[in-house]
Formats: sequence, structure tokens, C-alpha cells
Amino acid sequence: RMKRLAPRSTLRKIIKKHKPELRLAANADLLVHLSFLLFLHRLAEEARTIAFENKSKIIKPEHTIAAAKVI
Amino acid sequence: MHCAARAAPELPAPACAAAPPPLQAPPPPCPASRRAPRAKSLEGLRPLTAMAASGTRLVRAARENVPKSGNKKNSGRSAFLKQKAAVFPEHDNDTPRVMLRRIILTQPQVSPVAPQLYKDEETEAAQSELPSKRVSSVLDMQLPDLVPEDTSVATFRMTKKRKKLSISEFERAVDKRLPQNQDRSMLDSTALARSLRMSLGSLIPPDTVEKRGLRRRPKIRKAIDMKAFEGGVEQNMLKRKAQSCLVDSQTASEIQAPSLTSDAEIVLSNTELFIHPQFDEQNQNKLSALEPQLSDSKTSAQRSKISDAAQEEARLVGLVSSVDTNEGRTQTHSEELILNHEHFGGMTHVSCKTPVKQQEAANRWSSSLPPRSPSKSLESPVTLKPKRSFSMSLREVVSRIIEDLDVSDTEEEMANTANKVEQIFREAAEHRANAGYSGHLEKQLTEKAELQITMAQDGKVKTETAALEEEGIAEGDVEHQGSPEAEQEIAKDVGAASLVRHSDAISSSEKNGVKPLEEAVEQADELEDQAIALELDGLEEEPTEDGAEDPESAEVSMRTPTFVRAAAYKPLLSTPHHVKPAAPKLSAPRPAKPVAPKSSLQPLQAKPVPKSSGTSRRKPREPEIASRLIKGIFRHYAKMPVARDAFKVVEKCSERYFKQLSNDLEAYTRHAGRRTVEMADLELLMRRQGLVTDKMPINVLIEDYFPMEYRKLLIPVAVCGNKVIPSK
Repeated sequence: RMKRLAPRSTLRKIIKKHKPELRLAANADLLVHLSFLLFLHRLAEEARTIAFENKSKIIKPEHTIAAAKVI
Repeated sequence: MHCAARAAPELPAPACAAAPPPLQAPPPPCPASRRAPRAKSLEGLRPLTAMAASGTRLVRAARENVPKSGNKKNSGRSAFLKQKAAVFPEHDNDTPRVMLRRIILTQPQVSPVAPQLYKDEETEAAQSELPSKRVSSVLDMQLPDLVPEDTSVATFRMTKKRKKLSISEFERAVDKRLPQNQDRSMLDSTALARSLRMSLGSLIPPDTVEKRGLRRRPKIRKAIDMKAFEGGVEQNMLKRKAQSCLVDSQTASEIQAPSLTSDAEIVLSNTELFIHPQFDEQNQNKLSALEPQLSDSKTSAQRSKISDAAQEEARLVGLVSSVDTNEGRTQTHSEELILNHEHFGGMTHVSCKTPVKQQEAANRWSSSLPPRSPSKSLESPVTLKPKRSFSMSLREVVSRIIEDLDVSDTEEEMANTANKVEQIFREAAEHRANAGYSGHLEKQLTEKAELQITMAQDGKVKTETAALEEEGIAEGDVEHQGSPEAEQEIAKDVGAASLVRHSDAISSSEKNGVKPLEEAVEQADELEDQAIALELDGLEEEPTEDGAEDPESAEVSMRTPTFVRAAAYKPLLSTPHHVKPAAPKLSAPRPAKPVAPKSSLQPLQAKPVPKSSGTSRRKPREPEIASRLIKGIFRHYAKMPVARDAFKVVEKCSERYFKQLSNDLEAYTRHAGRRTVEMADLELLMRRQGLVTDKMPINVLIEDYFPMEYRKLLIPVAVCGNKVIPSK
């Protein structure tokens, strides 16, 4: 279904960009990816719900923005 | 003459000497009995036996001795015996036999016997009440008599010791001691043993015994006696390891008691050890007392929106940060972070403190000066407690606050703190909101946005727009291409008048051709950074207009408008990303940004100019999440077709999410005193997000979302061969 691999190096780079002094444990970036996945999951669910409420078959940006506001 | 009469008196004398001290019965009937034939002696002894409470054995021994000695005893002892018998008829039974034994065993011991007799008589006279004692002493006497044949000195010593004992025992008897205890004491028959018993047996009654014994003496001696007692106790401690603990503790307590009473400082120090939490709470109470007094009017509106605990935290943060601003800005932020950690970690901790603080606020605030020294001294011991390490840092700052407050003019401080409290309060609130995604934050932020909007309406809009325009022009066309459209959209979405104004201003100044959104995305990232710089630049002018009293407060005030303005501008400038969740959400990551860029404001001011030309420079700084990855994940979860624009929103959201994530992780890690993010930190993060609960452990989530190879890495898996993967 989805991609199998989590972008571990990319994740580390992002965190390094934001917090250069912060270090990551060995497999901590996987947990970061996990939390990221869960976040996307919640966002997508909320956007879907809002799109349903607007009787739209497509998720539109407005739905997404509203969804992000909720979360 | 004694020699001649030795035979007679020797037998009875030792018997009398031995028997009387314990028995108090120089047998008056003895001579009579001895004179008389055996039957008479036996008869004479019978009443004695009957009268003697405990001495059957001795009585028998006496009876045995009587027939042995026979006639020898009769003449010389009569006088003594009669006297003794008259005075102490009870113990006559023992004396004949004992006397006989003595005569047999200790024949040469006339001199010791004679004085013993007298002494024994005296003791007998004194101890009319204690037959049992004498019995036991007779036993003791008999034993040493039996064992050492020549130990007259030994017996003498024993008797002497017994005499000493008997005197003290008499005292105790006078003091209404039970005979049992006295027996105990008698049996030991050593001063050390006595002290032993005193200390070990039961500390309270022996103490009372000693105290009773000491009653006669002036009370001053008590200290000395206590010390001597303690010295004896120490000796006993060496002897008896088993009970040493009790003795140690009690002696220590005893030792401490006088020292404490004597030394006020020691009392203080002792109390400090106990009062650590109280003092800290008191300090916090002072702070909380300060804060409510000062910032009630200003922050009431904001406070109403936030829970009480959060408010207390904010107050603490405010005061803490106020002090730190005096020392250094970074500290405040760390304190905020720490407080946020505290908030994250356990609200209960603070909430428990807060009511206490409030209670003690009034009392302690007045006495801020005296506790300063203990608070200072508290700092060091305060730091020692690991559990409270985090809250202790708070206390240290609190104590510093108190010091500063006491040192400097309180009014000025209070005024400053009021301002700082406000602004830092907002910041703290926003910090919290970041972590918790609470709806409150949105309200607050909308509030702040409104406030900012109102402020903008006052006339700062022009300055900002002017700055923006300048910056925009300097930056170039490419970046703001998509902005006008998005700005309008954003304006509609947000519905803020000022924003519309801004968007109009910007769009008017920077209208350009339309570009593909993808490029705009990249540029929007650049835009964001520049926008921050712009906002900061523009905002720098604001605090001066705000009229902050101190440069520090100005900085603080700069902060709050900074990120709020960032929130306002972010939707405008980050348009290509299709407006991530609105101003409230945008402002959430802002607090983190202002801190860093704040210090580097001036370099940032210079940067936008070269930045505009070098677009390539930014790319290596911004690692992008694979967009297709995000798209795929989102589509999978949404189960519906997703518009490209919506996907941009998702992209922006994810970026901001990562920023928040990194902030939170850093906060957690710092709170744990570590420099490396660990699994526990991440689990805590997810727990706070509500992803991990008691019902939903993290391992379940791992299994749900991760492929096998990742699961193996994260969860120890046991495989055949008694191996666990990953091996620890």
C-alpha cells in the first residue's frame, strides 16, 4: 500500500535543521516517523470528515485547513 | 579472742555475713537452735523457713549446716544472732547454713567476715523490705563462696559491689521500684551492666529509674548524667551490636536534643532540612502573591481562558522569567521550557503546590527578608534532591527572584514583572498549546490576533507594511508571485481586517506573474524565513512604541507581538503552501522561532538581501520530506482523492508539525537532563498527543504502523535459540 521505508535520514536532517544541538537515539527516528504517520492519519481523517460534511467527494484545501485547525 | 571464738563465730559469722545481707536474718534463733539439740535448731529454723519467702534451698542448706556445725556455733554468735534474729526474723533460716558454710570455706577470713557482719547488719537494717534481694545475693554469695575458696578479697569485693548495688537499690526501692527490676539489677551487679540495662532493656523505664534516682540531685546534673549515660551507652554499643542501632538512634536523638536547644542555628539548620519544601512553597507563594497583585488587571482576561494550574505556572513563569530577564533572556526561555516540561510532565505537581502557595502567600510575603538567608542556604540543599531537581531549579530562581525583589525597588520590579508576566504568560500559554493542541490556544491566539489587530489598527500597520514592502522589493519578484492570490484566499479564510489590509498592501507592492505552485512551495519556504525576519524587523519598532519600561520588557513585548504577527503574516507570506492551519496554528510554532531569530535579528536583517539572490543556499538547509511519501500516506489514510492544493496544506502542516515535534522533544530531553532524544521522550510525546494511552501501548502502535523490519528494531523479539532481537 504505502511506501515501506521511512525516510530516516531525511527525518534526521529535518530535526537537525530545527534543533542542531539535539541528538537522536538509535531508533528514535523511527518513533518520530511513527508519530508523524499518526499525525497524518489524524489529519486525513479529520479532512475526510469535513469533506463529507461539505458533501464533497474530494478533499479540498479548505477542508484540510479546517482540519488542521481542529487538531 | 576471736581465734578462740572463731570456731563458734566463724561458722555462724560467715553464715550470718552471707545470709544477713541478702536475708537480713542473722539468726537470732540460730544460737538458740544451735545451743539446743538439733531438734531445737530445726525447730528454730522452721519458723524462719516459714517466714522466709524464697530461700528454701538456703534454708535447707542452713539446716544442713546447722547440724554440721553443731555446738561450735552456739556461744559466740548468740549475741549477734539474737540481734539479727530480733531485727530480721525472716531470714534466720538461711543464716545458719550460710554461716556454717562460710566458716568451713572461709575460715581464715575472719576480718573480712567481721566487718562484713557489721556492714551486712547495716544493709540489713536498710533493706528490711527486700527478702528476695538477699536471697539472690545469698545465691551470689554462695556461688562465689563455693567457687573460690581463698577469694576473701573477691568475696569482699563482691560484697562491696553488692553493697553499692544495695544502696542504689535501696534508693530505687525507696523510689518504689518493683522487686523484679531490682532483682534484675541485682543479678547483673555491675555498674556497666546497670547502664546496659538502662540503655538497652527499655530505654524509657531505665531512664526514669535513673531520673528518679537523680531526682535528689539538682537538675543541672541531668546533662552530665545524660552524657555519662551516653558514654556508657556507647560502651555498651561496642559490646552489643544487635541493639546498637536502637541505642545509636536514640542517643543521637538525645544528643541532638540538647544541642538543638542550645543552638539556634542548629535548630535553623535542622528545620531547614525539613522545611525545604515548605520554604520553597513559601517562596513560590511569595511569587504567586506578587503576581496576582500585579497582574490581575492585565492578565485577567487571558487567565480566564486557562486552567488555574496553568495560570499558576504562568505566574511562576512570569516571575521566574522576570528575574531571568534581569540576568539573561535565554534563561527565561529555558525556564519557560522547564515550566512547560513541568506542565507536560505533571500538572498535579504544580497544582498541589499552588494551593499551598496561595495559603501561605500573605504570611510569607511580609517576611521575605528573613527567609532570604535560609532560602539561600536552601538553594544548595535544595539542589541535592534529585526528585525535585526540576522544581528545585524553579526554587532557585524563585529565591533569586526574592533576592532581587528585596534588593531592588520592589515597585519597579513589580511593574516589570507585571509586564513580563503578561507577555510571558502568553508565550507560556502558547507553548503549552503547542504541545497539547488545545482549543484554548486557538482562542487565546485569536484573542491575541485580535489584540494585535487592534494594535495594528493604531497605526503600526503602516510601519509594518512599509517594512514589508521594502523587504519584499528587496527580495525580488519570484517569491511573492503566488502570494497575492493566496493572500486573498487567506484573507477570506481568516477574515481578519488587518490581514486583508496587509495582503492588499503586499499584493499591491509585489504583484507579479503567476508561477507554478511547486516553485512557489520552495519559495514559500524561503518566504517564511524572510517573513520572520520581516516581522521581527517590523516588530522591533513596535516595542518602542509600546513604551516598554525596560529593554528587557521591550524584548518580552517584542516576543509576543512577534509571534502573533508571525501568525498574522504567515498566512500571507506562506501562501503558496495554501495557508497552513490558520493564524492560531501558525502562531504556535512562532514562539520557538522568535527566540532563536531574536538573538540573530540583526544578522537576519542583513540576510534577506543576500538571501534573495542565492536561492540555492537555502536548499541544503531545508531537507524536505519526500512529498510523494506524504501524498501516498495521506491518500491512504484519507481513502478519498485529495486535491493538490489540499496536499500542499498537508505538506505545510507536516512541516510545522515537525517543528513542534522537535521543540517538544528538545524540551523533554532537556527536562530529563539528557542531550539525546530517547525512546522515552518520544513515547512521552505520543502520550501527550493522546496517541499512547494506558489502553494503547506504544508497542501496539508500532505493530500497527510499521513493517516487520522496523518492528524488530523497536520491539525486542524473542526468537528460537534463546536470542532476543535486538540484542541488548
